[in-house]
Amino acid sequence: MDGDFEPKILGIFCNWCSYAGADMAGTSRMQYPPNVRIVRVLCSGRVDPQFVLKAFELGADGVLVAGCHPGDCHYVKGNYRAERRIALLKEMIKQLGIEPERLMLKWISASEGAELVKTTEEFLTVIKELGPSPLRKKS
Amino acid sequence: MPVKVMFVQLASCWGCHQSLLDLHETLADVLPQLEIVFWHTVVDYKLHDVEKLPDGSVDVGFTEGFCRTEEDLHLLKLARQKCKLLVSYGTCSTYGSIPSLLNLYPIEEALSRKFKEAESVVEGRIPDKHVPKMLEHVKPNREYVKYDLFLPGCPPEPPLIAGVVTSLLKGETPKLKDRTLCDEWPRVKSDVIVLKKVKRDFEGIPEPEKCLLEQGYICMGPATREGCGAVCTSAGVPCKGCMGPGPNVMDQGAKMLSALASIVDYESVSPEDLVKAVKDVVGTFSRFTLPSSIIPKAVFKKK
Repeated sequence: MDGDFEPKILGIFCNWCSYAGADMAGTSRMQYPPNVRIVRVLCSGRVDPQFVLKAFELGADGVLVAGCHPGDCHYVKGNYRAERRIALLKEMIKQLGIEPERLMLKWISASEGAELVKTTEEFLTVIKELGPSPLRKKS
Repeated sequence: MPVKVMFVQLASCWGCHQSLLDLHETLADVLPQLEIVFWHTVVDYKLHDVEKLPDGSVDVGFTEGFCRTEEDLHLLKLARQKCKLLVSYGTCSTYGSIPSLLNLYPIEEALSRKFKEAESVVEGRIPDKHVPKMLEHVKPNREYVKYDLFLPGCPPEPPLIAGVVTSLLKGETPKLKDRTLCDEWPRVKSDVIVLKKVKRDFEGIPEPEKCLLEQGYICMGPATREGCGAVCTSAGVPCKGCMGPGPNVMDQGAKMLSALASIVDYESVSPEDLVKAVKDVVGTFSRFTLPSSIIPKAVFKKK
């Protein structure tokens, strides 16, 4: 079964940097793994911890939150908030028996299409090594 | 005609029932109007007496505590069957409360810790005869049966109880206020809160008038429903969140985590500092509501 394991990864990307970065990767014809389903939010600071927990509850194998580099946030401080939320959330999911490596926060700017490809590929490798999420429902 | 009531205790500490006694003189007005058909701390009716009652013959039932054993579950279902109106009385019954943090551990490990490894135990063994079977994990009672009214609080405060009981006796449907604790109580808050340092409850003495969160204490006020009369916060003790989540919130813990992360000063508190300051994330933010959170229990690797 592990051989055919295709992880489901939720990407929550900020509108101004990371989503534009994904766009950049697309227009430059770079390919990134189709395992990542991207949801656009206006700011990484908009990512409510409930979204991440809900994703895990519904069986996501990994959640990738991406936002602007520190200092670049369109709303000044949103990414700093995201950074602290994700740090606490990692602890929370660790206590709930989910490997904290399944949750990742990455800064990707609008011009970093290549960085986005690299990040998603690396994250996919990490998740594949971890195997299916313990909360994943058997299909 | 007196109103028939039953009080059911599931796994809990009796604190909620003791809180009833804090009604003092109000009890003298209320009690003559009640006919107690089952309440095992107070009257000598047995379980089989309840089983014999016709379905729906009791007017109001109060359940305290959560279902830890199959016996609790049986009692809860029985209460639903016999009562016209079922009230979830206290936080254990409504959200799961502190003892349900045991959901973070496998039940085998918990039993072995309690009956074999505890420091006071000599030649311990896990009891298996004449005791009801433990349930794997705690679920909020409302996932087992339908409730008509929720009355959270650890324990519910006497004015809240008095309000509910008197309106029930008048035949009205009581309604809880849908606001957060911070809306209710009068501590002085600034427009923008920036925390330079996150403190633990025992550090320093809080200023009497100023918002506790603003002073650096982790106070669950913004994520907690009002109705407790702010007994802790008026005495300078940060709110622990026993009234459960406020309106339109799925997960009290996640919301408070989010709130705290957004008010710390990012120049003086790094993410690592914050994690260090909070120490026990689930135990701090989801202290009372773990079983009704989005992820209600820890998942364990199969050995």
